Amino acid sequence: MKKLFLLWPLFFLFSCTTLPAIHPDSSPLREPSFACPSPYLKEKSRLVHAIEIRAAGQTRNVVMGVTLVDPVSRSISCAVMTAEGLVLFEAESTPEALNVIRALPPFDAGQFAQNMVDDIKLIFLEPQGHLQAKGYLSSGERVCRYPGANGSRIDVIENDSLKNEIKQYSPSDVLKRHILLDQSGKDVYRHIELSAGGAFDYRLVMTLVEVQPIDPD
Amino acid sequence: MLIKRYRFLCLLVCVFCGVFSMLHHSGVAAENDLEKLSRESARIKTLKADFVQKKSMKILTRPLISEGRFYFAAPDALRWEYFKPLKSVVIAHQGNTRRYIYADGKMAEDKSGGVQAMKIVLSEVAGWMTGRFDHNPSFKAVVSRKDNTVITLTPVDEKMKSMIQRIEITLAQKAGVIQSVKIFEGADSYTQINFNNVKINETIDSSVFRNVQ
Repeated sequence: MKKLFLLWPLFFLFSCTTLPAIHPDSSPLREPSFACPSPYLKEKSRLVHAIEIRAAGQTRNVVMGVTLVDPVSRSISCAVMTAEGLVLFEAESTPEALNVIRALPPFDAGQFAQNMVDDIKLIFLEPQGHLQAKGYLSSGERVCRYPGANGSRIDVIENDSLKNEIKQYSPSDVLKRHILLDQSGKDVYRHIELSAGGAFDYRLVMTLVEVQPIDPD
Repeated sequence: MLIKRYRFLCLLVCVFCGVFSMLHHSGVAAENDLEKLSRESARIKTLKADFVQKKSMKILTRPLISEGRFYFAAPDALRWEYFKPLKSVVIAHQGNTRRYIYADGKMAEDKSGGVQAMKIVLSEVAGWMTGRFDHNPSFKAVVSRKDNTVITLTPVDEKMKSMIQRIEITLAQKAGVIQSVKIFEGADSYTQINFNNVKINETIDSSVFRNVQ
């Protein structure tokens, strides 16, 4: 019951956060136009992150995550393992199919694999749809809006300190995913935070451990 | 249902953990008989070793390297600690087993629901800790000699077998020194743990098995 109580603030935050209005870049005080922020991978990359899994305000576990992403083919390979080296989850995804290679409990539950691949796409791959809107949020941040999968919408936001946010809204305009990217350092994707709302409230804090080279094709 | 899932996951984690508990058999490197291994293991009262873990998978270009330290004191106290890249500690002492993970700038106890299961499983692998490789119902043990003595543990349970194919423990030729443990999860995935700086029967402060820091 206590845990349920602790979950309420996150639920409240997400359930009350809806698709914001975008103001056209008409103010003379603002730059007349800007390039849409694109905090996405530009070439095939293999990244290793330490991932803190948080729920109800507490760290539940810390695991290692390996992600191999090709932005051209939009294919993804990923693996999750414990500090002890035990592989909990491994999967490959292409635009055509999702292949789960290994999934130990509780990582074999329901839609876990699809949700995980969707989260990886949201973080690393540029939205495929055409730009729907471009302008400023009421807080002054630059934003570009794209259509996402299944009627969702994706806002890609950039502020003056070059920190990016990606927000995904449901077809009913409720915030479902919120990603914070701090790209001000040398390493791209050195720190990523993903918050998920809806039926699965959780937060992932990802810290880059290493970038591994890509094999020549 | 969720508790069962966590228990099975913890069982697997503890199998990894249990492998470390076999380190104190290293003092019988020249033997290839399970009974002799068991008998000789009684001489090991404490053990301390550094380790380097290399995780190899198809998805990785090069192995993921982790480093840590292992402590054991007979009959059943152990500390299995990783320093990097992730910090974590498993401590088993006087029947209590706890796992800690580093998060938010401090070590926090893992309360993911599997600690009790971990305790149960560690007691299950107590056979290993007393040198009885062949008395553990979860694994079939075979001792072979090539250049070194190798103990191969194969899971008996089919479900476990689908997760871990086999575990190979290689004893160094020099008596008293463990060389490596290799855990095969699949054709392209294995974890190799190489030990160095092994110290046997040196005094280990009991706080090592009580305090996380």
